[in-house]
Amino acid sequence: MHRYLKLFSILSLCLLLVAVGCATPKPAAQVTQVKLAMGYVPNVQFTPLYVAKERGYFAAEGINVTFDYGMETDLLKLLGTNQLQFVIGSGDQVALARAQGLPVRYVLNWYQRFPVCVVSLAGSGINKPADLVGRTVGIPALEGASYIGWRALLNAVGIAPDKVNLQVIGYTQAASLTQKRVDAAVCYVMNEPVQLQAAGQQLNVLYLDAYTNLPSNGLITNDQTIKEHPELVQGMTRAFLHGLRDTIADPDAAFAIAKKEVPSLSGENEALQRAVLTACIKYWQGEPLGKSDPASWRSEVDLLRQLNLLAAPVDPESLYTNEYIK
Amino acid sequence: MAGTTLKPTRARKPGCFALQLPALIAFAALLGLWQLLDWRQVYPAFILPGPRLVWQRFLSVVADGTLWANTQVTLIEIFGGLALGLSVAVVLGYLLAKSPALEQVVLPYLVASQALPIVALAPLLVIWLGAGHLSKIVVCALTLFFPVLVNTIVGIRSVEKGLHDLMRSLNASPWQVFTLLELPAALPVLLSGLKIGLTLSVIGAVVGEFVAADRGLGFMVNLARGLFDTPLLFVALATLMAIALIFYGLMTALERALLRWQKD
Repeated sequence: MHRYLKLFSILSLCLLLVAVGCATPKPAAQVTQVKLAMGYVPNVQFTPLYVAKERGYFAAEGINVTFDYGMETDLLKLLGTNQLQFVIGSGDQVALARAQGLPVRYVLNWYQRFPVCVVSLAGSGINKPADLVGRTVGIPALEGASYIGWRALLNAVGIAPDKVNLQVIGYTQAASLTQKRVDAAVCYVMNEPVQLQAAGQQLNVLYLDAYTNLPSNGLITNDQTIKEHPELVQGMTRAFLHGLRDTIADPDAAFAIAKKEVPSLSGENEALQRAVLTACIKYWQGEPLGKSDPASWRSEVDLLRQLNLLAAPVDPESLYTNEYIK
Repeated sequence: MAGTTLKPTRARKPGCFALQLPALIAFAALLGLWQLLDWRQVYPAFILPGPRLVWQRFLSVVADGTLWANTQVTLIEIFGGLALGLSVAVVLGYLLAKSPALEQVVLPYLVASQALPIVALAPLLVIWLGAGHLSKIVVCALTLFFPVLVNTIVGIRSVEKGLHDLMRSLNASPWQVFTLLELPAALPVLLSGLKIGLTLSVIGAVVGEFVAADRGLGFMVNLARGLFDTPLLFVALATLMAIALIFYGLMTALERALLRWQKD
C-alpha cells in the first residue's frame, strides 16, 4: 500500500509539473524599450513628455520610455551611431549634424515658434532691433540656437554683425544684465525673461520669431530607425502629440504630473516654474501640431550656408519629415 | 707613462633621442592603431576621424590663422594664471610653513576648498569678474594653487634642523637663511610642485574658456562640439597636449639646470 502511495505521489507531482508548464501565460504583446534623451536637464519645459508617460500614451503604443538628459551635441552623435533612437533637440543641430554625415532626421516639430529673444532692462532704450547698433549684447556661445537666432535677426533687419559689440557671457544673462555688464542679452524666452520678471525687473523683449522663421526644438530620430522601425517612430510621435495636446488643454494638471518627475519644481520655485510652463505653452500652440514648415528649414539651411557653418551642402528636405504627423 | 696625462673617464650619457625613443615608439604605435581603426572604418568620421582628416583640418586652421589666434589667447590666460597662482601659493606656503599657528587656522579651509569642483566655481567667477581674461586667469590660478602650496610647505619644512642651527651660529640674517639655505634646500620639492602646477594651468585656462569665451582653445573645443566638427576638436585637444608637453619639458630642463649643484 505504501509503495502505491509513493508511486501515486510521484505521478501526481509529474502531472502537476506538466500542468504548470502548460499553464505558463503566453508572452504579452512585445514592449519596445526606448530611451528618449533630451538636450538639457530635467525641467518643466519637458512637461508634455512627462504627461505622455504618466498617462500611459507611450505604453499604449507598446513603448516603455525612459528619459535621459545630456549635452545636445553628444546626444545627437549617439543618435547618429544608433546608440540612441530618439533625441529632443533643435533644428539647427539637425542641419549641422547632417552636414557632418550624421544620419539624423527631425520627425516632430514641437515648438511652433522660435523661442529665442533679445532681452534688455526697461529704460535701456532698446525697443527695436535698430537700437542694438553700438550696444553690447551678451550671448551664451558663438554656436547653438541662440547664436543662429541672433544672426538670423541681424540678417532680417539688415544690421552688419560688426555694428554690435557681441560678448560671449555663457549662461549668465540675468546676472550680466542686472549688473549692467551688457546692454542686452540673447536668451530663451521661457528662461531669463521669466526669472527677471519674477524678480520684479521691467524688461524690453525683442522676440526673434517676429523677424525670423526657423525650426526649433522637436523630436529627432535616425535614418535606420525610420527604415527598420517606422511603427516605432509613429508610436513615439503619436504619444508625444497626445501629451502635448493634454498639456496645452490643461496646464495645471500637466504641471502636477511634471512635479512628480522633477521634484525641484515644488516648494518656493513652484510659482516661477509654473510661469515658465505658461511661457512655453505659448510657443507650443498652433495647428497643425507637430508639423514642420518646409520654409523654415529652407531658411535654416540658407542662413547656415551664409554663416559658412555647413561642412557640406545639405538638402533642406533631407532634414525633416512630416510623414509621421497624422 | 711619463708625460701622459690621465683624464677622468666620464660615463657616456645616452643622447636626447635615445632617451625619448620609447616615447616615440609608443606614439608611432598609437598612430598606427588609429590609422588601422580608420582603415577598418570601425567608427564613422564624426566619432573618430582618421589621422589624415585631422591633419588636413590642422593645416586649414594653421593656414587661416585661427589656431594661432586661439592658442595665443589661451597662452595669455595660462601665463596670467601662473603668475597669480604661483606667487600667491609660494608666498602663502612659505608663511604657513614658518607659522604652525597660521597653518592651523588657514589650512583646513584651503583643504576644504579643494572639494569644490572648479567647473562649478567657474560660472560664478564669470559672473563676479566678467567674461574677459580675468575670470579665466583666476580659474587657472585656482587650479594650480593647491599643489604648489602643499609642495612649498613640504619643501620648506624638509630643511634639516641642524642646518638652521648652523646658520644661526653664523649669525645669518633671515634673508640669508632664506636665499642660502631654505630656497636651495626646498627647490627639488618646490620644482616638483611647479611641474604639476604648470600642467594643471592648461586645464584651468580651458575650464574658464568652456564657461564663456569667444576665443581660446577651450572656445575652439566648444565650437567644434557645437558644429560636430570632430577633426577640429582633435586639433584643439592635440594643441593643448602639445602646450602641456612643452611646459613639462621646459620645467624639466629648468629643474636639471637649477639642481645641477646637487649632483655635483
